Amino acid sequence: MNGEIVFRQEFEIQGGDFSRGGEVSCEVKNLLREIGLPAANVRRAAIASYEAEMNVIMYAEQGRLDLSVTPLEIRIVVEDAGPGIADIELAMNEGYSTATPEMRELGFGAGMGLSNIKKNTDEFQITSEVGKGTRLAMIIRTEGCRP
Amino acid sequence: MTSKARHPLSINEEKCIGCVHCLVSCPTKAIRIKNGKARLIGELCIDCGECIRFCPHGAIESQTTSFSDLDAFQYKVAIPTTVLYGQFDNTVLPNDILFALRRIGFDQVYELSSICELTNAALEEYLRDNPKPRPLIASTCPVVVRLIQRRFPSLCDHIVPIEPPREIAAKILRANLSRVLKIPPAGIGIIHITPCPAKIVSINYPASLEKSYLDGAISIRDIYKPICQVLRRNEEEAILRHLFPETLLSGIGIGTALSGGETRSLKNHRTIAVAGVQDTIRILNQVEIGLLKDLDLLECMVCPDGCVGGPLVVENRFLAKSRILGLVSALGERTVVESSDMNLLFHKDFLSFQHPIKPLEIPPLDADPVHAIRKANQRNDLIQQLPHKDCGACGAPDCRTLADDIVRGQADITDCPFMSKEGK
Repeated sequence: MNGEIVFRQEFEIQGGDFSRGGEVSCEVKNLLREIGLPAANVRRAAIASYEAEMNVIMYAEQGRLDLSVTPLEIRIVVEDAGPGIADIELAMNEGYSTATPEMRELGFGAGMGLSNIKKNTDEFQITSEVGKGTRLAMIIRTEGCRP
Repeated sequence: MTSKARHPLSINEEKCIGCVHCLVSCPTKAIRIKNGKARLIGELCIDCGECIRFCPHGAIESQTTSFSDLDAFQYKVAIPTTVLYGQFDNTVLPNDILFALRRIGFDQVYELSSICELTNAALEEYLRDNPKPRPLIASTCPVVVRLIQRRFPSLCDHIVPIEPPREIAAKILRANLSRVLKIPPAGIGIIHITPCPAKIVSINYPASLEKSYLDGAISIRDIYKPICQVLRRNEEEAILRHLFPETLLSGIGIGTALSGGETRSLKNHRTIAVAGVQDTIRILNQVEIGLLKDLDLLECMVCPDGCVGGPLVVENRFLAKSRILGLVSALGERTVVESSDMNLLFHKDFLSFQHPIKPLEIPPLDADPVHAIRKANQRNDLIQQLPHKDCGACGAPDCRTLADDIVRGQADITDCPFMSKEGK
């Protein structure tokens, strides 16, 4: 019963569209706030979705963010069709990045994205297949202030 | 006295024709057209005054202190914004303007550039003493403070807790005048001359003080003509003027009302200056998701080019800016504040907020989370149905906001002209 999804919304993320980077996570933030979740949880969800969104924009062709809310947690799943990650353990290291010089020039690609997601979520799973895509599943627990 | 309306903006219904200019211009979607007239939603309004700028009919009025309110005071002091120096042609120097204010009826005029220099130095000291959080956000623009309280509540503790120059100046005057002049404190009126309506709110409802040190604010618009009238100098006045010593202006402080004015003097820190309400919202969004941590200070001013672009100024902001930049280059790096004085005031907390700025969160869709979620789902369904034309004909600024109003029980789907046609 507590795992029941009470709110769900999907968002498209266009790979390569840096000019709109951050729009989806901003929308996620506003939605969660309007639902009445506490500011600290909302901020963590916004940071995690921003990092995931930017990963799609930087590396993938196309992706989607699936936001769902249960009485106990915020679940965010970001899936993309893209190059995938060969060595996930390596990619999780702070400072590790495969960003191109162009991305770094834009201020991205410091290699903090995945570790930042880990820091801001209570559960974080990453699965990837090289040449196909990547799936990030994130959970932020909201117990005690359940909707 | 100024009545304590929560918001200084009001709609003049005689002039309002119910068009959509203000609806679209409002950055927080705080305006609706109901029964053919614009209405302000107080909970959402941040007092930025964008609507004043965009209304083609002059129907949005700003309530500021009137001259007759000044009669209540035995001794009147004016603290004009430095923006005032850019409002007159190049032959009118700051000291002429300060003198003109005395001629209008102020017993004393307090020049603000020195205090701007003082708070700039205090800002530098604060940045040095407090390595976290980053970026810190300058607090001079009251609209930015309000925007953070409402839309970016988690950034409240990024706001630099130093009072803006106008409050510091009034605090210094309050601490001394009554004793020196032997007039009871209530008999002394300290009035800011302001380029924007938001200062009124920060005086009536201060975010970081129990009570403002200022008694009111007169707009540049209202005081412009009286100043012009007395600026026509004759010989007699020229002699009179010499009775008053020239005020020393600060080269560091004189440009603080321009965007970048506060960051200009912070040579040892990484800073950026943002002006304009939409860009301010964009940058605060970035800070809220944890970006820009490598910056020390973020200066935001919601008016274009800073306070020179305030909605209650007279001169166009490009001319005003050019004149003030002229003063900046003429005065150079001239300082008028002793660093020992600054240190003393800073470390005695004379310049600090009385209490931290607290979030003023926008109410969720419903106080009951179960209902809030139901409404969020309903709103998504409604957004699908609406025509996505964002025409404003329903009275809301766009389709999404109409859907929001409907689930909050403040509008009906038949308000949309496209929907009602389909319904028939």
